[in-house]
Amino acid sequence: MSSGDGASQSSSKKSKKPTYSRFTQQELPAFKPILTPGLIMAAFVFLGITFIPIGLSHLSASDNVVQLVDRYDEDCIPTYNSNPEEAHNKRIQYIRDASTNKTCVRTLIVPKKMRHPIFVYYQLDDFYQNHRRYVKSRNDEQYRNPSAERKTANCEPEAVNDDHEPIVPCGLIAWSLFNDTYSLLRNDVPLPINKKDIAWQSDKTHKFGSNVYPKNFQSRSLIGGATLNESIPLNQQDDLLVWMRTAALPSFRKLYGRIETDLEANEVIKVVIQNNYNTYTFNGKKKFVISTTTWIGGKNDFLGKVYITVGGASLFIAIAFISVYLVMPRPLGDPSYLSWNKNPPSN
Amino acid sequence: MAAWRGSRSGGDGLQSVEHISSSRTVRLGKVQPQAPGHRTVFCNDRDANALAKFKGNSVSTTKYDVFTFLPKGLFEQFRRVANLYFLMISILSCTPVSPVSPITNVLPLTLVLLVSLIKEAWEDWKRFQNDMAINNSTIEVLQDQKWVLTPWKKLQVGDIVKVKQDGFFPADLLFLASTNPDGICYIETANLDGETNLKIRKALEKTWDYVTPEKVCEFKGEVQCEQPNNSLYTFTGNLIINKQTLPLSPNQLLLRGCSLRNTDYIVGAVIFTGHETKVMMNSMKIPSKRSTLEKKLDKLILTLFCVLFCMCLLGAIGSGVFINRKYYYLRFDKSEKQFDPDNRFVVAILTFFTLITLYSPIIPISLYVSVEMIKFIQSTQFINNDLSMYHAESNTPALARTSNLNEELGQVEYIFSDKTGTLTRNLMEFFKCSIGGEVYGTGVSEIEMGTAQRTGAKIETQKQSNTAREKGFNFDDARLMRGAWRNEPNPEACKEFFKCLAICHTVLPEGDESPEKIRYQAASPDESALVTAAKNFGFFFYKRSPTTIYVRESHVEKMGKVQDVPYEILNVLEFNSTRKRQSVVCRYPDGRLVLYCKGADTVIYERLVDGDNELKRITREHLEQFGASGLRTLCLAYRNLSSDVYESWNEKYIQAKSSLRDREKKLDEVAELIEKELILIGCTAIEDKLQEGVPACIETLSRAGIKIWVLTGDKMETAINIAYACKLINNSMKQFIISSETDAVREIEDRGDQVELARFMKELVKNELKRCNEEAQQYLLSVPRSKLALVIDGKCLMYALDPSLRVMLLNLSMNCSAVVCCRVSPLQKAQVTSLVRKGANRITLSIGDGANDVSMIQAAHVGVGISGQEGMQAVMASDFAIAQFRFLTDLLLVHGRWSYHRICKVVTYFFYKNLTFTLTQFWFTFQTGFSGQRLYDDWFQSLYNVIFTALPVIIIGLFDKDVSATLSKQYPELYKEGIRNAFFKWRVVATWAFFAIYQSLVLYYFVVASSNRAINSSGKMFGLWDVSTMAFTCVVVTVNLRLLMMCNTITRWHHISVGGSILAWFVFVFIYSGVILPKEQENIYLVIYVLMSTFYFYFALILVPVAALFCDFVYLGVQRWFFP
Repeated sequence: MSSGDGASQSSSKKSKKPTYSRFTQQELPAFKPILTPGLIMAAFVFLGITFIPIGLSHLSASDNVVQLVDRYDEDCIPTYNSNPEEAHNKRIQYIRDASTNKTCVRTLIVPKKMRHPIFVYYQLDDFYQNHRRYVKSRNDEQYRNPSAERKTANCEPEAVNDDHEPIVPCGLIAWSLFNDTYSLLRNDVPLPINKKDIAWQSDKTHKFGSNVYPKNFQSRSLIGGATLNESIPLNQQDDLLVWMRTAALPSFRKLYGRIETDLEANEVIKVVIQNNYNTYTFNGKKKFVISTTTWIGGKNDFLGKVYITVGGASLFIAIAFISVYLVMPRPLGDPSYLSWNKNPPSN
Repeated sequence: MAAWRGSRSGGDGLQSVEHISSSRTVRLGKVQPQAPGHRTVFCNDRDANALAKFKGNSVSTTKYDVFTFLPKGLFEQFRRVANLYFLMISILSCTPVSPVSPITNVLPLTLVLLVSLIKEAWEDWKRFQNDMAINNSTIEVLQDQKWVLTPWKKLQVGDIVKVKQDGFFPADLLFLASTNPDGICYIETANLDGETNLKIRKALEKTWDYVTPEKVCEFKGEVQCEQPNNSLYTFTGNLIINKQTLPLSPNQLLLRGCSLRNTDYIVGAVIFTGHETKVMMNSMKIPSKRSTLEKKLDKLILTLFCVLFCMCLLGAIGSGVFINRKYYYLRFDKSEKQFDPDNRFVVAILTFFTLITLYSPIIPISLYVSVEMIKFIQSTQFINNDLSMYHAESNTPALARTSNLNEELGQVEYIFSDKTGTLTRNLMEFFKCSIGGEVYGTGVSEIEMGTAQRTGAKIETQKQSNTAREKGFNFDDARLMRGAWRNEPNPEACKEFFKCLAICHTVLPEGDESPEKIRYQAASPDESALVTAAKNFGFFFYKRSPTTIYVRESHVEKMGKVQDVPYEILNVLEFNSTRKRQSVVCRYPDGRLVLYCKGADTVIYERLVDGDNELKRITREHLEQFGASGLRTLCLAYRNLSSDVYESWNEKYIQAKSSLRDREKKLDEVAELIEKELILIGCTAIEDKLQEGVPACIETLSRAGIKIWVLTGDKMETAINIAYACKLINNSMKQFIISSETDAVREIEDRGDQVELARFMKELVKNELKRCNEEAQQYLLSVPRSKLALVIDGKCLMYALDPSLRVMLLNLSMNCSAVVCCRVSPLQKAQVTSLVRKGANRITLSIGDGANDVSMIQAAHVGVGISGQEGMQAVMASDFAIAQFRFLTDLLLVHGRWSYHRICKVVTYFFYKNLTFTLTQFWFTFQTGFSGQRLYDDWFQSLYNVIFTALPVIIIGLFDKDVSATLSKQYPELYKEGIRNAFFKWRVVATWAFFAIYQSLVLYYFVVASSNRAINSSGKMFGLWDVSTMAFTCVVVTVNLRLLMMCNTITRWHHISVGGSILAWFVFVFIYSGVILPKEQENIYLVIYVLMSTFYFYFALILVPVAALFCDFVYLGVQRWFFP
């Protein structure tokens, strides 16, 4: 119909010959990346010789990191010699009792010389900071903007206090803020921990407001963790900022502070811990970590090892290919290797 | 107007008319639904017609209008399961169960719908514009005694219009008068059926003079005719003028879509308008076929659903187990159902839904729309524009009428081919004849040459004869030329023979009335070949009027004398496929009445007068001989009629002709009455030459592992010879012939007992099949294996297709590399096709050119029509149309193979990339207490499918080539991969799935494991969103690089799209993490800047994709090296 009625007669007499274009004739210039044995080998050799050095440098950097890890949750609580369940309950009672003094002193020996800055971390295991209910329980607008303090969507059940006044900062993440504290003694001389600048700069300058002050925080009967000084704006509360950048895995480290002096090998460090934070109900572990860093960051063998593994595997395969190639060379494009020239498949 | 009204009174006397009731109701003004039987049209009377509420003449072929577009278009879209699934997921993601914001699922769905709707709208807009152009073209309509230009859409039933030369008919018209004498006009019907020869239409004598407007005004008539229907070649009705009832036939109907030729102008009355015209009623929808790959794709999607279900179930159980009040900081309590530790079952169920939403990208939403787009471009840009499939002679490019089946072309295993017009050229040449028991014609046909070659006998190459050869005539025998026939033993028979050729036809002469310049317009090339032959024998048909045929006869009375003889044509009993014959009753100038008949040997022999068995026997022998040479034969016969026999018959004939119901059938019955007691004259043999390149094409295709079946209506000998000529069968093949042409069969046939015949035939076929099967088994076991060929004829096939024998037939034919079925009906063609399609579950392709192949074309997976020759019906029913059989090589081996490869790659890649992506989410679920926390930001997830990984896969679907076009034609064996479906087997999918699992593990665990320590010298730690952005970056890079690895060719488009996709991700994330959106959580805010400030980011970005792709690379390398 379409070519029929209206279209003029001349159009049907016109040549219907398609016009030539490299696109329609599918003759676009192209190069064929044929994986020739040579190319494959070259690629593997290249991978090997670039990855192994990267891996080695990573490993050596990681090796230069000195870190000290001390798990203290078990030892910083009185032992109860009753059946496990009862002991468990007693521990919970102990940790929840705000009136008891939960100071706990740990003694650590520096294995190697640690150059400053030395970073102090706390590490929690089996703590699901990445749980869906937990992750979404925050309101960035409220944290950033003082006029948005009533915006507590998603913050349930820590959105408002019993008087329906908004909690700032709202949400479960802030509510469960870690509240163990550490102070260090070197040879019984206090070793200061610098708690400045432990949060990411972007959090300080952009995500948390400099004029948003904590309000009604931990004012309800159930207290999840640390309290906040209501006279310090949120973006100055570095501990909170660190905590609020929720971890990806249930086992995570968070920066606590920095030691700005070097520690010599075999020096004895005393850690005075206020063991406040409750990980006992869910049997989570708490660890105290001090570590130096290098250009790759903290102790992290993983990348280095993988680099070396991949590089090594590449070299190995390259060698394997070369030896196979030498044993039974095969000219490329030999049609006798094409499937239909071999015996037809058994099926 | 007043003049028209006058006609009312004339109509009162119509009591005698049969169909008075309906016309009366109309007149009474009670508008009733038209009686189903017929409609009544008052010509030249708009007011009277208005009561009947005929439809207007404007046409609309659009699917939607402004208001229905959205609802209807959306409805169409949601009929797709994938879209519906995503709609449901989107709804689910608006509930609190969802771990992701609705944007994650709504956005890709919207984009996909938008693309689909835009495509629909664009197509519809084009249709609309086309409609507008047609509706607004003008035509001259009679108004107030003047011709007034009116747009087509204003035209109404009953209007009188004037159509000028070369103009198109605006509606179905009743032909009233023309400027040509005798009220005839010539029309071209190319738009209707593709036939380019002119056809004659003849007005009724009574209406001849209504040419001038003054005269036409007086015309008042009433047309009673059938209701609008889609049959192009039938029309029954009556015209009532002045109380006289005149029968109307298709001869008076001018169909919309045709155009007027060789006539100054005509006048006609509009009968059917707009959508009720025959051509519009005929515009059927393109039959929608789905490719087998697509069906397999559905299975894959279903499997993915199962995987999704299992993943969600696992996660749901995990969440039910995990939930515990001991995680006090998560505050599990009754306030939220999903986190109520007292009701773990509800928790599990709700988490199940959460996870479904989270893992929904495992079903690739953009897959269908991408595949559709790829196929659309493949068919419209590549197949339709392929220069190597353009036939210059007929000016026909290839045409993909559907874009659904491109990849199906790459998997065809069986080709069912028609013979005439498909393998052969359908250019008929008069080649030999047998008159009165004598064979004339010395030529050697191509097929005979082929036969000679195979028997080794050498035939002298024929000398070029001196006779002027022309199209349609390739005959050389001095005994008949230039009047020499007078000296032959049977000159009377010769004369009758030539007269029969010159008179018994429906050919139209065109051009100058000289033998050199005249051109014949015939319905079939056979006819024009025969008339051309008559011309060369000295019986020059030069002029036709509706009642007379003028023949310039030479050498009839004596040598050298030329005289013009007019033969009055009394009746024409036309050819159709059931009659298989055509007759003309004519009156000689001396009053002698003769019926000339020509037709297929079987029908003519049945109707011969008894006696002269010798001639019959000899002629039958000749027929078989011609058939063996691959020639098409026709028998000629005549009958002398006495005038009273004729008169009494003619009455019956006229009665039948004017009947409104079953006119065709009645005409056939009447024709039977006179087409008997015929006297055999002889037979003609016409050569139908093989198309160019057919043998080479068939050889290539069979090397590609494609089995070719020829299904033809021809005789067995012809069919076998054609098969030899086109190298389908050769001497090294073992042939099985199952034929009904045995003496035993004939004997029983002669007894005439149908029941016994059937029983016997069945037994025979059964035994034959059994024998052949056994032999075939032996041959297959023997070494070297010889190829097998099966030849079976229509009668045997009828019994072999019986359900009890079907399996045997199938087994046998599967073992044969070539099968020839001869004397098969169109229905049998379709049956055989579906036998293989359903029984063997192989992919079939049917190719044909004529109306008789339509059923076969529709029955096969892929239907291919040969365009530009016999008509358009085959093309209209087909999925692809090509001009020549040999283009099948390009269509299958090049386009089909490429399409198949590409679509397979696209589908498996989609599968892989979405699986990889979703699995990283899945691994994360295990470490979040099965809470269904999302690893990626909403926008990352929603744009993953539609932006970051969308374009490269389309590029691969368009440009990937493993071997060049010439190579794939040179090594047709490559095609076998498609037949075995080597690229979309479960094994391939499993391989991809394996690598997807491996890569997702690498991507997830490497990133997570390497980032859980301080990542720079300032000792700071990453949070969840830093890690997730890192992981997502790695996923995008990996998945895009993997695409590059699977390319066989890389054009700059690959670079652009792959690079562009990765770049798009970075651009996006820079912008996205740089702005504060008005929402509660700005998780990604400034994340990328934090990330990029660390060395870790760059080292991980290099390492993780390399490690992820390492195994793939090794796999590809090993595969390339050891299993190319």
